[in-house]
Amino acid sequence: MFISIENVSFSYDSVEDGQPVKNAVDGVSLTVEQGEFVAVIGHNGCGKSTLAKHLNAMLLPDSGKVYVDGDDTADENKTWEIREKVGLVLQNPDNQLVASIVEEDVAFGPENLGVEPGEIRERVDKALKAVGMYEYRLHAPYKLSGGQKQRIAIAGILAIQPQCIVLDEPTAMLDPSGREEVMSTLIRLNKEMGITVVLITHYMDEAVSADRVVVMDSGRVLTQGTPGEVFSQVELLKKHRLDVPQAAELAFRLKGCGVDIDRIPLDEAECAEMLMEVLQ
Amino acid sequence: MVRDVAFGQYFPGKSLMHRLDPRAKLVCFVAFVVLIFFTFNYAALGLIAAFTVFMIAVSGVSPKFYFKSLKVILFVVLFTSVLNLFYGSGEAIWQWWILRLTWNGIHRAAFVTVRIICLILASSCLTFTTSPTELTDAMERLMKPLAVIHFPVHEIAMMMSLALRFVPTLLEETDKIMQAQKARGADLESGGFLKRVKALIPILIPLFVSAFRRAYDIATAMECRCYRGGSGRTRMKILHMSARDIMSMITTAALIGGVIVCNIFMTSVI
Repeated sequence: MFISIENVSFSYDSVEDGQPVKNAVDGVSLTVEQGEFVAVIGHNGCGKSTLAKHLNAMLLPDSGKVYVDGDDTADENKTWEIREKVGLVLQNPDNQLVASIVEEDVAFGPENLGVEPGEIRERVDKALKAVGMYEYRLHAPYKLSGGQKQRIAIAGILAIQPQCIVLDEPTAMLDPSGREEVMSTLIRLNKEMGITVVLITHYMDEAVSADRVVVMDSGRVLTQGTPGEVFSQVELLKKHRLDVPQAAELAFRLKGCGVDIDRIPLDEAECAEMLMEVLQ
Repeated sequence: MVRDVAFGQYFPGKSLMHRLDPRAKLVCFVAFVVLIFFTFNYAALGLIAAFTVFMIAVSGVSPKFYFKSLKVILFVVLFTSVLNLFYGSGEAIWQWWILRLTWNGIHRAAFVTVRIICLILASSCLTFTTSPTELTDAMERLMKPLAVIHFPVHEIAMMMSLALRFVPTLLEETDKIMQAQKARGADLESGGFLKRVKALIPILIPLFVSAFRRAYDIATAMECRCYRGGSGRTRMKILHMSARDIMSMITTAALIGGVIVCNIFMTSVI
């Protein structure tokens, strides 16, 4: 396994007014396999972003361990090696772009690693092509749309050539078309380039594209499994005030009315298929 | 409205000015700025002004943007030139209360106006045609010898390039905050000077708060991308001095010579 999280707890301030405060992450254990696409969903403040920052040693657990490719993130000698293997993309694309020209921004990572100039050029071109932004390499980032900026941010991480990309709500600040751009880019990176993707999100529809969905609530893992397994537990998700994809919701309600449905659909196509079966 | 500010922006292009090595450009620019303040007669001033026009012409950036960058400092120009008008020494040609108009003052006002305008146009020309990364890269390389005395060359260059990168972002943000405060009934456009300055407080406070938040985010993002200071860093773009860079420096040297000649053979008017 590539990333292994073992019973990790973390809180931002250990003591407040003399009282120990609630942990942001509270005893989470999780593994991520090489080449997997994992979606972590949950409410704001459920600890999913805090967990994301543990995966590349931006935060270190108060208790428990995180191993990346066998290395402990608490080992200071391995910090940069780990950040080279696990890239983290943040929520606000504006605050991640450090240079005023797209290609110079993408070059920032490899430049930090001391890569040879010729190879940096190759990596930058490859990364920009992978996210479909090569034609924009000489543009100024602030003139691009949100979705394009976020794809540049992803290219900036790709140029470091990580084995795994962790994205912390990369689509939260984007419009629907920007969200679509980012999602299709991620799916392509995972399927075609074999990059492990950990997507933190609160959009249930995005989680459906993942191999595995992890649901978090109040700093703990509520449930996990394939999208089909997770979203068929509609009652559990509802109890924790989490949404389910619209298709699953419809099936759930039909089931409640006594309609016989054996498989919960996850997207429009599956839903249409299910309705056809029911009607016939 | 705030977004109209052109000063400090970069316009990608392929003109002669764009293709010059940023180090050569920076050296010439610094020499030119110093030279601007060593003009003591109209011939020298004319040379400087003509050279400024020449630079604008070969920059390949529309003069429209140069006018825009001038618009911002219009007030400063007017203020200093009026101040200089009444600051001259010598025989008064017109006097009222403490205001004394002298020929020396008129010359001074003319000089300060042309000097400031040339200064702004030249620096606009530099930033319009040089990406902030190139600029700070050049600065870092030119100042490298200072690292021997533990001068934080890389850190300063990095700070400058980040500051320049966030100029448009923060301007956009200012605009948004202004609109948001207006929607809440803030009155930004009426009242006296003091009242208007006070009206800026509800704009500046959210702007500062958000700038600090951004700074925190950027620091995180930079660490995520393995940034750990200047040591061991490489650059994608390697700078090469070519014939045209040598030519640009020779041209600047010729200009310096011209101004010196003017200053020696003609009498100073200020």
